[in-house]
Amino acid sequence: MPITRVGFATILLACLAAWGAAPAPAQSDDPLGVGRKMLAEDNPGELWVLRGERLFREQRGPKQASLEQCDFGMGSGKLEGAFARLPRYFSDSGKVEDMESRLLKCMAELQGLDRGAIIQTRFSNLDRASDMEALATFVASRSNGMKMDVRLEHPREREMYKAGEYLFFRRTGPTDFACVSCHGEDGKRIRLQDLPNMTERKQIQAVVAGWPAYRGTHSTVRTMQHRLYDCNWQMRLPDLGFTSDVSIALTSYLNYQGNGAVIQVPGVRR
Amino acid sequence: MRIGKATLAAIGMPLLVAVGCASFPDAQSTRGLGEKMLATSYPGMPEPLTRRAVQDRAQQICSKIGGAKLTQEEAAEVVRLSRASIQYPASGKLAGDWKVGAKLAYAGQGSRIIGGRLEKAQENGALCSNCHVLDPREVNAGNIGPALAGYGAQRGDSEAVARLTYERIYNAWTYQPCSNMPRLGAGGHLTPEQIAHVVAYLIDPQSPVNSKK
Repeated sequence: MPITRVGFATILLACLAAWGAAPAPAQSDDPLGVGRKMLAEDNPGELWVLRGERLFREQRGPKQASLEQCDFGMGSGKLEGAFARLPRYFSDSGKVEDMESRLLKCMAELQGLDRGAIIQTRFSNLDRASDMEALATFVASRSNGMKMDVRLEHPREREMYKAGEYLFFRRTGPTDFACVSCHGEDGKRIRLQDLPNMTERKQIQAVVAGWPAYRGTHSTVRTMQHRLYDCNWQMRLPDLGFTSDVSIALTSYLNYQGNGAVIQVPGVRR
Repeated sequence: MRIGKATLAAIGMPLLVAVGCASFPDAQSTRGLGEKMLATSYPGMPEPLTRRAVQDRAQQICSKIGGAKLTQEEAAEVVRLSRASIQYPASGKLAGDWKVGAKLAYAGQGSRIIGGRLEKAQENGALCSNCHVLDPREVNAGNIGPALAGYGAQRGDSEAVARLTYERIYNAWTYQPCSNMPRLGAGGHLTPEQIAHVVAYLIDPQSPVNSKK
């Protein structure tokens, strides 16, 4: 019996699906890939989602309030799909903000927590956890399975995007680096560390849809704010301000180009 | 006269593009916005450190957006500025001790800022292996720059080779304006003496960079 066209298409699709789903064989020229795959299968970052949710719902701070009324752009308390649209313009602050910037605002205003103290503990270290890292991971995870969908509707959003582009290519400091110095070509590494080419849509998508991410070398979940801070540190620049305009401009620039990527956080990184 | 769909599209597209783009800030205002953001994005940092985020003229020229090419005038200006920046070791020796250079070439520390302070390091590393293969037997090397294994074996260790190598490390933009490589001497990351040691590591026949095995 001849295979019908539909039948053939079905088989072809099934094959393609299987190919896509099959675990990538460990290549001998990519020994690090084996470790990455093992980590991804058993992602410790899930613990941060659980802790983040508890912190989010708990009544905390001088005002004994939870964060359940926090507005991430979809309306108070609505988390589903909110991360997919960030950064975006908020009329209550008159600024373009990202997820951590909104968390910071809500922790300070709804819960009455001290802004300086939150910033002090924005990143965890080996001695203490960071509430911010857990909260950001939880909030972002509520967009899992959805596509990145940053829109440049407001004039401020378009300004942020263009400023982010400008900064991505801006060389400065004792190393003369811009973001593009290390993230402008395929297949590049600093020592053995692979560098995503952030001028190529597919690779941008893989990055922006996977942060916050559990970082094996840090034994914790890190956020995009930390990723940018860390690059900035290697570039020999001063400490990049938490939720600074520069960080939000770069995030706008990258996330917008990552539109269409299916969000799956926490990701797993080296 | 019949106006075809193609004609309409030809008129319509630029109009749409013009309307769409008009709402994005132009290059001049974007630069203003970006620079203004930089001025507030390093809060609490001492001025000598925030000054690092201020561009010099060559950096400005080398910050082309989206791979745009340098004009001939721009390239010439970068070369001129770079050439003028080069200083040589007081001793006049452009090739130092390759063994000291070997340590420097694989050292990635120095000059990073954490908590508003410079990291504690005896001296800045030369950062070479972050981007270049040097000793062919060392696997832990990056590939942003070209592999330099056999650098001296191919070129020899003449005075001319030492000078060219020294100048390329001191200010890489003298020979390749706006290349990815940091201007390690001109930017103050390495001293002339340190650079001379790295030169020796690259060109000395005894250096592992040039080993036959």
